[in-house]
Amino acid sequence: MVIFGYMTNVRSAYPYPVFFLLCWLVGCSNNQKAIKMKGSDTEVNLAVSLAEHFYKVNDTFTVAISGGGSGLGIASLLNGQADIANSSRPLNQEEDSLFIRRHIELRTIVFAEDATAFIVQKDFPLDSIDVNSLAGILSGRNSTWKEITGRDIPVTIYGRQSNSGTHSFVSNKLKIQFSREAKEMNGNAQIMEGVKMDPSGIGYVGAGYLLQDEPGPAVKVLKISAAPGAAAVSPLDKQAIENRKYYFQRPLYQYIAAGSWNKVKAFIDYEKGPAGQRIIKEAGYYIIADSPTIR
Amino acid sequence: MKVNKREKINTVARLLFRNTGWIVIALLAGIFGMLIWNTVAFFLKIKPLDFITGTQWDPSGTSASYGILPLLVSTCLVTAGAMAIAIPLGIGTAAFLSEYAGRRLKNILKPCIEMLAAVPSVAIGFLGIVVLGPSIARLTGQPNGLNALNGAILLAIMALPTIITVTEDALQGIPNSYKEASYGVGASKWQTLVRVTIPAAAPGILAAVMLGVGRAIGETMTVLMATGNASAFPKGFFHSVRTITATIAIEMGEVPYQTTHYYALFAIATVLFLFTLIINLAGEYFVNKFRKYHAL
Amino acid sequence: MTKRWTPLLEWGTLLGSTLIVFFFLGVILWDLISKGGPSLSWEFVTALPKVGMTKGGILPAIIGTVLLTLITALLAVPFGICCAIYLNEYARDNGFTRLIRASIRNLAGVPSIIYGLFGLALFVQGLHMGTSLLSAGCTLGLLSLPYIIITTEEALRRIPASTREAALAVGATQFESIRDVVLPSALPGILTGVVLTLSRAAGETAPILFTGVAFYINSPSGYLNQEFMSLPYHLYMLSTQHQAIAEVRPLAYGTALVLLMVVFLFNGTAFYIRYKYHRHE
Repeated sequence: MVIFGYMTNVRSAYPYPVFFLLCWLVGCSNNQKAIKMKGSDTEVNLAVSLAEHFYKVNDTFTVAISGGGSGLGIASLLNGQADIANSSRPLNQEEDSLFIRRHIELRTIVFAEDATAFIVQKDFPLDSIDVNSLAGILSGRNSTWKEITGRDIPVTIYGRQSNSGTHSFVSNKLKIQFSREAKEMNGNAQIMEGVKMDPSGIGYVGAGYLLQDEPGPAVKVLKISAAPGAAAVSPLDKQAIENRKYYFQRPLYQYIAAGSWNKVKAFIDYEKGPAGQRIIKEAGYYIIADSPTIR
Repeated sequence: MKVNKREKINTVARLLFRNTGWIVIALLAGIFGMLIWNTVAFFLKIKPLDFITGTQWDPSGTSASYGILPLLVSTCLVTAGAMAIAIPLGIGTAAFLSEYAGRRLKNILKPCIEMLAAVPSVAIGFLGIVVLGPSIARLTGQPNGLNALNGAILLAIMALPTIITVTEDALQGIPNSYKEASYGVGASKWQTLVRVTIPAAAPGILAAVMLGVGRAIGETMTVLMATGNASAFPKGFFHSVRTITATIAIEMGEVPYQTTHYYALFAIATVLFLFTLIINLAGEYFVNKFRKYHAL
Repeated sequence: MTKRWTPLLEWGTLLGSTLIVFFFLGVILWDLISKGGPSLSWEFVTALPKVGMTKGGILPAIIGTVLLTLITALLAVPFGICCAIYLNEYARDNGFTRLIRASIRNLAGVPSIIYGLFGLALFVQGLHMGTSLLSAGCTLGLLSLPYIIITTEEALRRIPASTREAALAVGATQFESIRDVVLPSALPGILTGVVLTLSRAAGETAPILFTGVAFYINSPSGYLNQEFMSLPYHLYMLSTQHQAIAEVRPLAYGTALVLLMVVFLFNGTAFYIRYKYHRHE
């Protein structure tokens, strides 16, 4: 018993293993080879796959990834706790001014295009919805489905927390405040689970989440039309997305602190390379050829 | 070894121990100072009255509102629910262990209760999602079981070991002469338990309850995972609620440091801290009362 | 008739509540073991996560939890024991000491998330340690300190004053009496407290949320100044944040079971120490 020895006889050899461990812990650390990437629940799984494959070709870098919302990534960048902030929305004014006030210079990359899908349970009697009705449902103006499907059942909204980029994207697009009754789930995955079980539920998730269910999709993806009577577009329609026809499509950003640029360059190069682009497509996101990649 | 040298070592050791004592105390005082400091920074920006009486917690809306009421009510709702389940079960189990169970049975049951106490909160929250949530949804016909009731049941499970152990100690601490006197006037075992032993142990049991409340009110992961976290004003056990702890856990990661929102989270943490402080002090008071009462 | 049944009913109430409590324990253990068992394998505990964490193992999380607990122990154990020695052996029993004791007891009841906030304010920001293994370890160390002080003091108090006086009488200095006489006899009690505290620290999630834990790390390293994965957070993440919750359920169950095993291992050790000690007495 090492510990017993330590207590009864202070002069024994107990410090050596402890000392050795400390050396090992401290000795190996090198900040120049550790990348911290944070934020955006929509992008996090994509980031994980990229990091996983990146490690196979280049194991000198450690990439640590945390999810949360887009706000988390941007806040971490502001706080100096991240090198790359993933975000599914542009910076808002307040954040912009904070970056300026704290003298943090940013570089912005658009690395994929996402389509936010609205999902309902598989047997839900509705295939497409127009933007106006959707706004009515999500803002809480219509608290039942009566006007839309004819059934008088209450609407349950499965949303994200207010730190989510998707949350602010949807509310900006529809120009609404979300109903206060909306459930605030921790992530896209919980929204999927919730909608799957709930015959009156509606939720929104990133396109990447639609590919995950192996034995056929367990939820129905609503087609969206920009106005009543206009053609409805599915977020899974690759052609339409490339022509920017889907109402809720948006670029996914990566904000990088200029000070970390050299460190993360290898990773960004990988991501922009053919291997990275393939991974992005496989994850269910889109790449639009003519989109500006680096600002 | 020379006496001189030994005495020197002794002096150095005493100094060392004393200093570690002081460092520890300083660190622990720092926690309180940090909370107060940040809370003051918050109240410089937001009026305390708005904070206490506001019925909306929406720090990132277009017009940010920092009303603690919905969070406070959620926390109290879940904790009260947990106690409604845990107190009768805890006292019943403790009475069983102390009065009815034989020595051998007790030797098996007590380690099991310690085992229950050892299960990490995140594992209990996980079971709230995968086992309890679907069951509640099925039984109540609700679309999903992530609501205040789910959180209350899980918190009850987490508070039970504390309540059982402390209550059992209190029951054991009642001198045998009390019970013998009761039996002597013809009372049954049950009558003795209900009319004599439990009332005599009441301060100890109250202390147990206080410790249980303290445990439940400060628990984070379980409620974060199991209660659904809707920020609307709580309506009842079958609605999802968001407690103070869950709010801190959800929002602290996402705020830029030294902003109003950041300070706001410290402010609600201070409220939580004061709550647990009062509960702990009450528990301590009851323990001391119990000790004094039965000092033999 | 009623008279004959009343005692049974009364007894049944107590037995019933006990059974309900143990039913809870039973469900927890049964569910985790029966569903987590099949996902356990040598690969599960020795491999990196693969395919976006839907396959592979949880090695980085295990490494993270082990290192985190180790740092917690390195910080909290020496400080905690020294502080308890100071309080119990050196400090006079006056109002001030009583105040200190009361505040330590109260601090043991402070919610763990508040320690997380303190860790964020002090270690991550104040001392510029960033979100890292060391920040999180310090935070957990702080959280464990009151527990270790309380249990150690309890163990020290159980040593009769005559033991110390005997050592002093044969000419030992106070330090020698503590080192050679008091500590060795209080050791089993102290160790039990330390092990139980560490078991609690290993399962904590809230204090490390903002002080350094990460969702995913692409290499099995554990460096002091970098972020880390940990078992409890990994379980949280797999069950609420992951993209394919249904698909990773087995992994979540496996992680929960490994976490439970780690915690029970600690508790079993404490139980064994106590058992051995009691037999000797």
